[in-house]
Amino acid sequence: MIPAAFEYHAPKSLEEALRLLNRHGSEAKLLAGGHSLLPLMKLRLAAPRCVIDIGRIHALRYIREENGRIAIGALTTHSEVLESPLLRAKCPLLPQTAREIGDVQVRNRGTIGGSLAHADPAADYPAAVLALEAEIVVASADGTRTLRAAEFFVDMLTTALLPGEILTEVRVPVLSPRTGTAYRKLHQPASGFAIVGAAARLTLGPGGKVEHVAVGLTGVAPKAYRATAVEKALTGKKVSEKQLAEAARHAVPQDVELLSDLHASSEYRKAMAVVFARRALEDAFSHAQGKKK
Amino acid sequence: MKLQGSYTLPAKREVVWQLLNEPKQLAACLPGCEQIEAVGSDHYQVKLKLGFAAISGSYSGSVRLSDKKPPESFRMNVEGRGTAGFVQGEAKIELVDDGDQTVVRYSGVASVGGLVASVGNRMMELAARRILEQFFANVASQLRA
Amino acid sequence: MATATRYMGRPLKRKEDPRLIQGLAHYVDDLRLPEMHYVAFVRSPHAHARIRSIDTSRAQTAPGVLAVLTGQDLDNAMGVIPCAAQLPEMKLALRPPLAKERVLFVGEPVALVVAADRYAARDAAELVEVEYEPLTPVVDPEKALAKGAPVLHPQYSDNVAYRWELEGGDIKAAFAKADKVIRQRMVNQRLIPVAMEPRVVVADYKPGENKLTVWSSTQIPHLLRTQIAAVLGVPEYIVHVIAPEVGGGFGSKLNVYAEEVLVAHLAMRLGKPMKWTESRRENFQATIHGRDQIATLELAVQRDGTILGLRCRILADLGAYYQLLTPLIPTLTGLMICGCYKIPAARVEITGVFTNKMATDAYRGAGRPEATYFIERAIDLVAAELKKDPAEIRRKNFPKPKEFPYATPTGLIYDSANYQKSLDVALKKSGYRKLRAQQAKARRQGRYLGIGLSTYVEICAMGPSSAMPAGGWESATVRVEPTGKVNILTGASPHGQGQETSFAQIAADLLGLEPDDILVVHGDTAVVPYGIGTFGSRATAVGGTAVYTALTKIRDKLAAIAGHILQEEPKRLVFRDKKIYLKSNPAKSLAFAEAVSAAYVAKTLPPGMEPGLEATYFFEPSNFTFPFGAHVAVVEVDPETGEVRLLRYVAVDDCGNVINPLLVDGQVHGGIVQSLGQAFLEEAVYDENGQLLTGELTDYAIPRAEDVPRLETARTITPSPVNPLGVKGVGEAGTIGATPALVNAVVDALAPFGVRHLDMPAKRERIWQLIRKARQVGSRPASRRAGGRRDRRAR
Repeated sequence: MIPAAFEYHAPKSLEEALRLLNRHGSEAKLLAGGHSLLPLMKLRLAAPRCVIDIGRIHALRYIREENGRIAIGALTTHSEVLESPLLRAKCPLLPQTAREIGDVQVRNRGTIGGSLAHADPAADYPAAVLALEAEIVVASADGTRTLRAAEFFVDMLTTALLPGEILTEVRVPVLSPRTGTAYRKLHQPASGFAIVGAAARLTLGPGGKVEHVAVGLTGVAPKAYRATAVEKALTGKKVSEKQLAEAARHAVPQDVELLSDLHASSEYRKAMAVVFARRALEDAFSHAQGKKK
Repeated sequence: MKLQGSYTLPAKREVVWQLLNEPKQLAACLPGCEQIEAVGSDHYQVKLKLGFAAISGSYSGSVRLSDKKPPESFRMNVEGRGTAGFVQGEAKIELVDDGDQTVVRYSGVASVGGLVASVGNRMMELAARRILEQFFANVASQLRA
Repeated sequence: MATATRYMGRPLKRKEDPRLIQGLAHYVDDLRLPEMHYVAFVRSPHAHARIRSIDTSRAQTAPGVLAVLTGQDLDNAMGVIPCAAQLPEMKLALRPPLAKERVLFVGEPVALVVAADRYAARDAAELVEVEYEPLTPVVDPEKALAKGAPVLHPQYSDNVAYRWELEGGDIKAAFAKADKVIRQRMVNQRLIPVAMEPRVVVADYKPGENKLTVWSSTQIPHLLRTQIAAVLGVPEYIVHVIAPEVGGGFGSKLNVYAEEVLVAHLAMRLGKPMKWTESRRENFQATIHGRDQIATLELAVQRDGTILGLRCRILADLGAYYQLLTPLIPTLTGLMICGCYKIPAARVEITGVFTNKMATDAYRGAGRPEATYFIERAIDLVAAELKKDPAEIRRKNFPKPKEFPYATPTGLIYDSANYQKSLDVALKKSGYRKLRAQQAKARRQGRYLGIGLSTYVEICAMGPSSAMPAGGWESATVRVEPTGKVNILTGASPHGQGQETSFAQIAADLLGLEPDDILVVHGDTAVVPYGIGTFGSRATAVGGTAVYTALTKIRDKLAAIAGHILQEEPKRLVFRDKKIYLKSNPAKSLAFAEAVSAAYVAKTLPPGMEPGLEATYFFEPSNFTFPFGAHVAVVEVDPETGEVRLLRYVAVDDCGNVINPLLVDGQVHGGIVQSLGQAFLEEAVYDENGQLLTGELTDYAIPRAEDVPRLETARTITPSPVNPLGVKGVGEAGTIGATPALVNAVVDALAPFGVRHLDMPAKRERIWQLIRKARQVGSRPASRRAGGRRDRRAR
């Protein structure tokens, strides 16, 4: 497992990283935790001429509450997300998702920014950031811009990041009381990636009606998506497990281009999307009702 | 790997036909095409940089057109090899009039060998589809230009 | 002269472990020699192709490159890759170390690059341009037999490598008399061994001394030495092979590989030390695979469950070429196909077939897991067909303990066993009757528990030389140093099995010493006597017996010396607490070290005695040994997703006498987990073009810690009469016994859906499809009835 030769830079600040990125353009790849890029490079499926290792920019590693949202620096590892008391208390969906990523070694190295920017169709975080209606902050030499999660994912391995941009922060909401969340996943048995991953967030209003619900699905299609038909079927209604199951049947819209591989055919994926969407909704619902889960 | 699909192009099929059979214009449409050279009638040597996002490789190979029935259909045979493995494919391409537009239908079989086959399984089909889509999108924009 | 058992039978922690868990062990890849060069291989991306041309010019001039060689460059420099197995009328399929005219599988090396570092070697390998003319690949072993299929080896007219038949008893009469014939086609899928350490070879040639030293991650250093000498055409005495720490083999390093002989050749040809470290991708493509057999098995049974006869046709996918034992492995399946049942008549037909894939060869269990799986699945099918409990069918057909040694219709003599007892212990330990009640209750709640049994017998301690391709004995030298410390030099080549500990336990007991007084040395052909190696669960039963016998020679000599000094009959002396003393009067004693010293100082030896203290023994076993056991697996299937979860696993194994129960448990645990891999997860998938799609660990699923519940192990002990230690072997028991128990459990869980059989691996989607199909045809799970029926039958 020997990569092709490459030029290596390890900037200490975001500004330096942006300068390097501008200088090297499309010949450069950003390296954060290294759990997506390095395996590709070792196999020589990727052979960038230049690697900019942003892993040492410590200023991009934080989890803090500001202006009613929680801001997570792009270089925050999956372990840090998993163990964050702040996230556990105020936005547990992210820790619930991080728990299902890879193994301990992967979680200790892999970063939320790296995972989102790589946009693997089977990665876990995309489902969660969609369900959280997160904001994704990106920086370039010209300043920063903020993208909605739904517009960030463009296609398999493709995001709305433009050349010269670096993902710097993910912002998620502080969840209101009576909100339940869950991430349920069918693991690919070899890689641990999601064959299907379903993230659900459900808020009950007064009278027990569903005030807000969001479901993100990963692993099913070239990019993670919001299951809007499921959401529509539940919003504003007083629901029971039966309705949740009914709604989950709409987890896969007609026009979705289903993935298929050695481990799961498109037919099986589609069926599992329904099952795991339902399971995530059930968990989120009982969590929202204040039941222990 | 079976590849099948259709794409609607904004021109009459005679125009589309001409474009697909003109090496320079074809080259401009082939995603990642770095070089194209006619080495015989309907036989081209090409150098392509193919890939998806971070994953890409250089391939050199040939494109042959055969069974040409202008402006209705032809067969295209693509062969390429590079450090990441080899690609072989053959497809039948049909052009169908649709008013001022042309519907291109393709159906064929591609096989991939080497590194990409053994480690890229889960994304291969989708990547192939995307490359084809890119190709037709390029054709469409050439036609518009 | 008595031997006190103080260490044998005790769960001593492994002497090997401190260095392994502290990262202090040395593997081949840790070696750095001055001026070492690195080898990278150019491998075929095609499964079947003619090589039109190879252009090495760009690679030759790349930075750091010392040499680029192709098959043509090697002409006459070396022979072909050896195959030790020889079956009647077997076609030869000789593989040149580098392909010459044609490539026959993806990953076959066609050229190599030698460079000053491994990056330069790998970079230059990409510059070698090979022009191939693709040929139609032969991938499916059944289609490979079809008329008109492309032929891999053009000197032959078809792809049949050999046909092998075995018949015993009156098979026609058995089937004529049967009330029922149970028939099933079963697939034992192709597996990739995935040793944690891939293969690594370092070679160094010193022209002045004319000495070639080869370090290889191998299970068979001596056989490798002999074969390197033969393939390179050099005298064996110039070759020195060292197998340092070996990070797992599972049979995949019981071989002589192209890369080993090539790296050795390069060291001599280019005059620099050479290293090659296999990548995981190469390990998947070009290290042997295991299993890959398709069997159609028929059992002739009476209404009461008595089995009268067995017929089995096996199609074995051998891959493109033979490796060391490739053709032999399926024959072991044939020999063991009757399992632990008294089946009066059996007929086995095996067809070995060439396909455009990597060779199959010995992978942990080597032929016996296949046999056990086929017969154990078939027994469950009999039980299902006759609506009887699977435990009852098994018990009905066991030979009784007093029938041993028991001759099978396949020509084997099972040494000793009590199958009834191991099954009883397993049923009791698992709470079988209660499990059946739980299962019935769960089914009423829409949960699908499955209980699977497997009662197995395996063939170990390979083996008498008459039955082995290259000798079945093992050697040991015991050398006691003047200070009284003991060296045991074994011809076995442990690579994780723990014989540094267990052999020290044997020696400590025989000589009355502590295990720390004993050093076990292995894996170095310049140090240890010629040996066969570690495979086939033979190291303790054969190698350990050689050690034991050499030790008795040492002890006899020391007793004679001590008797001479103490003026006592040697046979009245005991060895204990580092002393040699009179049994009836312990005060009359001599320190062990003193007696040893006397052997070296040689002033007080009995007249005529040879000085020094060293003994060598080559042990030739009279038979194989036949360990056995009974396993119970409990699984739950999620009917929505098809996921299988292993809830409990009970393993009762009988491997004869036990020298170290901790080592035995470790072997059983590892084996069961590897079985779980085959039963639920693993499968080497080649596509229709012969591309290995499961080319990395991202797609080839092996078990993880979280897949495995606490394993409940127990033992019965039936000593083997074949060796004085009474041991049988346990290195492969888990992989042999567990696979059918696991699959039987899954099929049992799916019984309410009308599922009768399921091929491995029991993948989620496959199970989901079966359940869906059953639900579509409207066969609602008949849970109550099924559960109740089981209940009454349970013991």
